[in-house]
Amino acid sequence: MSTALEKFKKYRKPGYYDKFDYHWTMSIDLDRCTGCEACVVACQAENNLPIVGEQQFAMRREIKWIRIERYWEGEYPDIKLQFIPMLCQHCDQAPCEIACPVFATYHNQDGLNTQVYNRCIGTRTCAVYCPYEVRFFNWFTYEWDEPLEQQLNPDVTVREKGVMEKCTFCIQRIRQAKDAAKDDSRRRVRDGEIKPACVQSCPTEAMVFGDLNDPDSQVSKMARNPRGYHVLEELNTTPSIVYLKRVHTDG
Amino acid sequence: MSNKINRRDFLKFVGAGTLGAGAGFLAADASKMTTEFLIPQVNLPEDYSPGIATWYHTVCTQCSAGCGISVRTREGRAKKIEGNPSHPVNQGRLCALGQAGLNVLYNPDRIKTPLLRDGERGSGSFSPISWDQALTTISGVLGTLKIQKKANNAYLLSGGVNGHLHELFALFMDQLGSKNYLQHEFSHPASLYAANKACFDEDVLPYYDIRNSKYLLSFGADYLGAWLSPVHHSVSYGHLRQGTEQRGRCVQVEARMSLSGANADEWIAARPGSEGMLALAMAHSIVEQGLYAGADAGDWKQALGAYSPASVAERSGISADRIVRIATEFAAASPSLAIGGGAAGASTNGTANLVAVNVLNYIGGNIGEAGGILFNPASTFSIDAPRPRASYQQMLKLFASLRGNDAEVLILHDTNPVFTLPAAANVKEAVMAVPYVIGMSSFMDETMALADIILPLDTYLEAWGDNIPDPGVGFAVASIAQPVVKRLYDTRSAGDIILALAHQIGGELPANMPWTSMENYLMEMWRSVYRGKSDDSSDQGFRKFWTSILESGVWGESPQQQDRPHQAMGRAMLSAVGMAQPSFAGNESEYRFVMQPYLSLAFHDGRGANLPWMQELPDPLTSIVYNSWVELNPKTAAELAIGEGDVLLVESTVGRFEAPAFIYEAIRPDVVAMPIGQGHGNYGRYASGRGSNPIEILAPETDSGSGGLAWSATRVKISKTGRRVHVIKTDGTTRDLGRNILGQKDGHA
Repeated sequence: MSTALEKFKKYRKPGYYDKFDYHWTMSIDLDRCTGCEACVVACQAENNLPIVGEQQFAMRREIKWIRIERYWEGEYPDIKLQFIPMLCQHCDQAPCEIACPVFATYHNQDGLNTQVYNRCIGTRTCAVYCPYEVRFFNWFTYEWDEPLEQQLNPDVTVREKGVMEKCTFCIQRIRQAKDAAKDDSRRRVRDGEIKPACVQSCPTEAMVFGDLNDPDSQVSKMARNPRGYHVLEELNTTPSIVYLKRVHTDG
Repeated sequence: MSNKINRRDFLKFVGAGTLGAGAGFLAADASKMTTEFLIPQVNLPEDYSPGIATWYHTVCTQCSAGCGISVRTREGRAKKIEGNPSHPVNQGRLCALGQAGLNVLYNPDRIKTPLLRDGERGSGSFSPISWDQALTTISGVLGTLKIQKKANNAYLLSGGVNGHLHELFALFMDQLGSKNYLQHEFSHPASLYAANKACFDEDVLPYYDIRNSKYLLSFGADYLGAWLSPVHHSVSYGHLRQGTEQRGRCVQVEARMSLSGANADEWIAARPGSEGMLALAMAHSIVEQGLYAGADAGDWKQALGAYSPASVAERSGISADRIVRIATEFAAASPSLAIGGGAAGASTNGTANLVAVNVLNYIGGNIGEAGGILFNPASTFSIDAPRPRASYQQMLKLFASLRGNDAEVLILHDTNPVFTLPAAANVKEAVMAVPYVIGMSSFMDETMALADIILPLDTYLEAWGDNIPDPGVGFAVASIAQPVVKRLYDTRSAGDIILALAHQIGGELPANMPWTSMENYLMEMWRSVYRGKSDDSSDQGFRKFWTSILESGVWGESPQQQDRPHQAMGRAMLSAVGMAQPSFAGNESEYRFVMQPYLSLAFHDGRGANLPWMQELPDPLTSIVYNSWVELNPKTAAELAIGEGDVLLVESTVGRFEAPAFIYEAIRPDVVAMPIGQGHGNYGRYASGRGSNPIEILAPETDSGSGGLAWSATRVKISKTGRRVHVIKTDGTTRDLGRNILGQKDGHA
């Protein structure tokens, strides 16, 4: 236990994150987001998310790495609706990482909150600790009706029963871009070279993905926008997702 | 039989060590066969390298917008659909339904071979036959009609096809000797075409330049959800909001808040059918305030005299002050744009409503201006003649002739009118009255089940075709659709079937339709486009041109300023302007609510209901999955003691169905709404037996200007059945409750 605690303290040392090669960050501009759900299907297709079926869905066992939440304000006829896409925030101080007894979820060199499927023993503690409710448990080994399995993305593992899963920032795309950069004798990935599936599909370009370590990257510029904020900031999870709040004009 | 490969088999294959990347995939495939091959392909196809993705550009046909798509394939399988970045319609982006195209291709319920009816007509009992047998039978029937000079008794009803497939259909029916070729699509905005014809004398829709607008005033048009070209509009919307220094403002007028309404800065819950009057009252206000400086201001003052904000206030349920304020903002913003559609175009006065919206644009000085209404150029294609898209009235005429004694053959292509037209139209009975019905479709559905013989179609990801987006994007654009994977089953494309039939029917048909395949036909047609555009007539030059279009997925010409005579337009609008009160089927005292069905984001007009991803996609405004629901205002619900999940009996003057209630915060208390798409009886394992279809109980009201179905003109009454179901949705609490999730409170900047 003491070793784990020591490791954990070391891991929490201030400035630790400055050493990362990349600090992958996403900005989501709520003034552009229309709630059209294109990102939801893009993620489903890219990451081999299962169809859980009506019965399981009714028990809230759906698996959607990204979802659109909606919040009403006011009463009819002065009523407003706002959308906010919710996905793993890749917190730099992630509550889920503290929780895992087997270190199946940890922080990698790029500032990603990573889930190692074959380490996971399915205690589901991380899902309880996550204030954003973006971790999903495989209650079953889900099947694809033939021939729907032919669509499965060969770059992404298909998960089995008993494993927790969540948004990876499309780590397979990050790896490919890094490999391509290496093959190209470049030391670093260019800004904008990596687009997670949700970012790629977004019709209004509400989402931007990039490296926060690079002050000139588009996402760094977005993160400096005065409209920027973090969801549930008071919990000090230091999320890697910067939301840009919606502009309200009255009258 | 399971195709799962067990672990030991997998290790065996990997242990062989000679396969390299992609082994698991090939092995899984090989395990299905009795003879297993360790090295299935010694000579790989040229576009096939294990472990490396190949991308193909083609065109999406999930709705009629015509977005360009790029399909990622690996080892010959389609893996992901993304938008084609060079396509001007969607600019690399794609909607939820478009991305679910993979569920169409790999759908387990596809029709895999030609089918011949072996039971009672309409019983849905079929047995497989060969293509030879199917085509010989059909060409025999059609050939006999032709010889007997009775070919005009053959009818072709197609879904909304565009490009050269439409041309081929027209040519085939013409050669056969029939004038009965129609296209049916529920979402075809007949009233919008009629209104633009009346105002601008244009057969194609203009380009609504949302991107450059600073004030977007929408009357019922759900431009972000289902209206015309939602992905293109969404790209434009992003730019309007945050693309420039000055953020554009959006105002939405509609009785039930749509996705566009939810994103608007201001939502105006006007009475259904009063949208046109509101637009005219705003025009009135602009003219009265002297904000319109045109030479015909006097004429307009007179023409709009009857539509003062005060007189419209009561009929629309919107205060005169508010009308004047919006009008003033609209006139002051530069450029501004008004658009109309959806329920506003689907009232009995739909065309008049949309003419009124055009008038507002004219008075606001937005016509022919960037950020307003721009015009599309005349197309370089011969096929740009208007497609025979049937209004509801024309469909009724078609059904009347099908019921008549003369009708002999009906060919149905990729359309499901039994589902997408009201029960009052008696589609089923009309189809059943035809002695011989030929179906062409990838899926069994309610209409195909009535056929005598069914020809299975390739999905759009397996077939050749082309597409000219309508509405256009302000300049000439076309794209070619190519197969992205080898066909999965023994299916053919509609074009290939038509050409094969033409060849077998004989007579002068083979000479006039000499092409060997759809691909060959397309190339010949594009060769003539190429010749018209280039001095180089060599085959080599054309090949290069053809390959370049396939590589980029799109062909276009640089934009040219499109001018239209302003004065004539003003005169046309002055004579076209005039509002009738909307009328509704059912008296108000008994049938209290106006029912507004709406196109679902996931299912469109119902075609997406057989896609598992779409069934499991939360509706953007309610987060509901897997079922139908009826939306009620909270006040109405409280008054009738209805809670979420209470199963309601919804009755119109012509029909009834049951569906669970959902309390929807942003709908007028005198309106109920329901998404279209569920309620299929025979549409595969994912769609059948779920929810109800609101189209079914619509009264057969039409828009007087266009003959289109007025689907927002039916009144209904609702009552509780006493049963209650669990409404499955992702949302928990839909109020922020001080959590500051949206970052609006101070101190969180």
